Amino acid sequence: MWAARRMASAMSASSAALTFELVAKCSTTRARASIMTLPHGPVNLPMFMPVATQASLKGLTPEQLEDTECKLCLNNTYHLGLKPGQEVLDAVGGAHKLQGWDHNILTDSGGFQMVSLLKLANVTEEGVRFLSPHDGTPMLLTPEHSISLQNSIGSDIMMQLDDVLVTTSPDKARMREAMERSIRWLDRCIAAHKNPDRQNLFCIIQGGLDLDMRRECCRGMVARDTPGIAIGGLSGGEAKDDFCRVVGTCTQLLPELKPRYVMGIGYPEDLVVSVALGADMFDCVWPTRTARFGNAVTKFGMLNLRRDVYAADFGPIEEGCGCPCCRPADQEGSMGITRAFVHHNAAKETVAAHLLTMHNVWYQLHLMSGAREAIIADRFPAFVKEFFGRLYPDGQSYPSWAVDALRGVGIDLIQT
Amino acid sequence: MTNESCDKPAVMAFEVLKAAIIDGSAARLGRLALAGRRSIETPNYFAATSRGVVPHMTPDNVNKHLQAGGAYMALEDFIEQPQQVVGTVRSPPIYNAPTTELRPRKLHSFTAMPPSVLTVLGARRIPAVPAPMGNSNSSVSVFTSNGFQNLTTKDYHAAIEALRPDIAVPLADLALGAITPTSKRALRMAERTDEWLKAYFTDLNTDSVLRPHGIATFAPVLPIAYSIQWEYLERLSEDLVPANQISGLAVYDPDVVPDMLNGYTNLTPLARLSLATPSTPQQILRQVSLGLDIFVLPFINAVSDSGIAMTFTFPPPPGEPPLREDGTRTLPLGIDLSTPAYKTSLAPFSPSCTCYTCTKHHAAYVHHLLSAREMLGWTLLQTHNHAVMTSFFTSLRATLAEGQASFNDAIRRFTRVYDTEFPAGTGERPRARGYQFKTEHGAKKMNTKPWKKWDDEKIAAVRKAGIAAKLEKKLAKEAQLANGLEGNGVETPLVPEDDADELDHRGFAKIVSLDDTKDK
Ligand SMILES: [Zn+2]
Ligand SMILES: [Zn+2]
Repeated sequence: MWAARRMASAMSASSAALTFELVAKCSTTRARASIMTLPHGPVNLPMFMPVATQASLKGLTPEQLEDTECKLCLNNTYHLGLKPGQEVLDAVGGAHKLQGWDHNILTDSGGFQMVSLLKLANVTEEGVRFLSPHDGTPMLLTPEHSISLQNSIGSDIMMQLDDVLVTTSPDKARMREAMERSIRWLDRCIAAHKNPDRQNLFCIIQGGLDLDMRRECCRGMVARDTPGIAIGGLSGGEAKDDFCRVVGTCTQLLPELKPRYVMGIGYPEDLVVSVALGADMFDCVWPTRTARFGNAVTKFGMLNLRRDVYAADFGPIEEGCGCPCCRPADQEGSMGITRAFVHHNAAKETVAAHLLTMHNVWYQLHLMSGAREAIIADRFPAFVKEFFGRLYPDGQSYPSWAVDALRGVGIDLIQT
Repeated sequence: MTNESCDKPAVMAFEVLKAAIIDGSAARLGRLALAGRRSIETPNYFAATSRGVVPHMTPDNVNKHLQAGGAYMALEDFIEQPQQVVGTVRSPPIYNAPTTELRPRKLHSFTAMPPSVLTVLGARRIPAVPAPMGNSNSSVSVFTSNGFQNLTTKDYHAAIEALRPDIAVPLADLALGAITPTSKRALRMAERTDEWLKAYFTDLNTDSVLRPHGIATFAPVLPIAYSIQWEYLERLSEDLVPANQISGLAVYDPDVVPDMLNGYTNLTPLARLSLATPSTPQQILRQVSLGLDIFVLPFINAVSDSGIAMTFTFPPPPGEPPLREDGTRTLPLGIDLSTPAYKTSLAPFSPSCTCYTCTKHHAAYVHHLLSAREMLGWTLLQTHNHAVMTSFFTSLRATLAEGQASFNDAIRRFTRVYDTEFPAGTGERPRARGYQFKTEHGAKKMNTKPWKKWDDEKIAAVRKAGIAAKLEKKLAKEAQLANGLEGNGVETPLVPEDDADELDHRGFAKIVSLDDTKDK
């Protein structure tokens, strides 16, 4: 399978379908800047991946998604498995062809949706069991199904099927079972994977909030030498301190020359802290979902443009933003969108949601490319302070979890 | 009337390039020219907007992918009073929109409409929702997102001066709804419209306001018999045309045009904008033959919403159409992308189309997007359908340039070859967007068949807990409150719509025997 081959430079490693090149490391924190080259081209890390759940990023054309400088987006295997389904994906020639997207695609395993969205699952060693909603027919989704679907999708990065538990689950024994099962399922996924030469399979570290269990899982997973590694099970339920401890523990055990993907997180503060803790990739539906409720993510915090105060606010969505909505009105490629115009159409015309989606995706991508530039210039700690300083202009009310986590990697937010 | 403007040209020049009234046709080629804009060849169409946007099209897509030379906007889409402050009157925000060098007109700058697209401002949407109360002597009833309100002639004229559309359509007293107005009512419509037009030019002086602001006036022609509005038309012809005060006519009923032109040759050189909402290409062709030049076409938006991609060309393809399954020998005007036939079709909607959708995407993708209720489906259909209308008019002009005979021949063939209506469209429409669609509620509910519970305890254990779930609920509620964009705040279909065999067949999961499931 994956045989790490040292390149001429000691700072890069390659497998059949992925090259990872470490460009710079922050001299204070554990943040890294790198280039991950996938079958559909190179992507700069750290990065945020917008989620095009059903092979479409909520109203944006692939051309518009390209305009945000996105080079890797996410599709959900569960949704594509239902619609259009494997047969169509095979006939069409995969998800890139389906959606006219020439850049990279990452897919999840589909297991998370099965378990958390459908509220139907009975996880056994064989796979995830559920009853068909139409006739009650018992059905089974196995690691082999997931991989077969992802092979049909043709994603550049596929995720293993894992036994997902919320990190807050109190059942230690069940948590251990899930962690160990996830390792066994990785072996089944690797065995079932038909295209290792053109699709990368990432493992997923499980183990809840138990750091020892996470360490054990890291060792087991790393031994299987996948081209990239994800840290799973962290999407919202747990306390932020616990989240940071898990990410920080795992990144310390992971090989330096492989991409590290923290699944399902997207709040700007979470991204910046996770980068400081040594993570490279993130995804979340939040920035695009919240756009449809009229919310703009900005460097000064969230604005709900449906509020009446924005009815006659003729400023850009975010002052200084370079996205096609916000760049100065008479500048090349600017649409000249104002907050007032978004307010005028929010929840009334789909266009308002599309514009906010475009802005929010741009914001997330450029937050990460800004972090990357800072890492390369070795001024990442200053970047982090500026970032938090804008969100909490009083310089006082920083969230304690962020203060603590950053202090752990050498940044003191309080001291200026 | 201000007679000193006689020697100055009209704000907008309309040049008739070719006109010949033969063989019962008044079709003509023309060119509409505005200072600082690319000129618009006619016959042509303008896009119909909703709240200042071409539905589903962000301004960058309008700029890149739409060739429409103009967009029709309704003032009633911009002047609602916020519900929170009912009782107090707030100046609608659009009046305070800042302008820039690139977008010196407030209507353009507020709506972010690309500068290359000219704007037409009318009081009401086309077609308009009938108001329960009629108009008064000095106001019309308009329908905003917060309900009906009166728009006085004074306010409308002030709006035109402030917003600076490229073309303004003065208020017309229209009797909306299905019932034909009595001749008494029709006479009052003509009288009122005449009065309002006088007030228009009193409030908006041609030399000090309209001309310097670059606002062209297209005077309404009412949807009532010529014999009832001839006095009004006479005044247009004898007073306003010689004074170069009007550049065009806004026509609500194309059948009035032949009589009008017989009566008043002075009106002949004016551009004729159809607000008569033709709903098929055949109806457009008929209106072109009656002498209409420019068309506002809301039906494009409706056809896109119904999941139909237009496939007609003008002139129609040569030869007899193939026999269809139902035994007819006509071509459909469009294809229904929701039908399973397009599941795996990698073909463009029509092989000759060069639009973004047809060159970068295929039918299978749009079929998938419609089936998944992804908003992009409608965006891609809008892009294509507007492109089809653009090439329809381009080749219509080319045929007309060959002469009336070949134009009329092409119309005859088009009428014979194509269906008279668009296919109905079997897919779900986008969620009704706001107030203008109040009467059209009834979009099918999404599949709500519940899953049978497998194991309550385990389900409880694996349920996504805490903040995420709460946030989800809150957002869903917000979406409902906001009359949101997708079915009741549900993001994406979470429950398979297909039965177990189908899921198994698709490789989604496999069917297992019941005995097999019990021991584990
Ligand atoms: Zn922006
Ligand atoms: Zn097309």
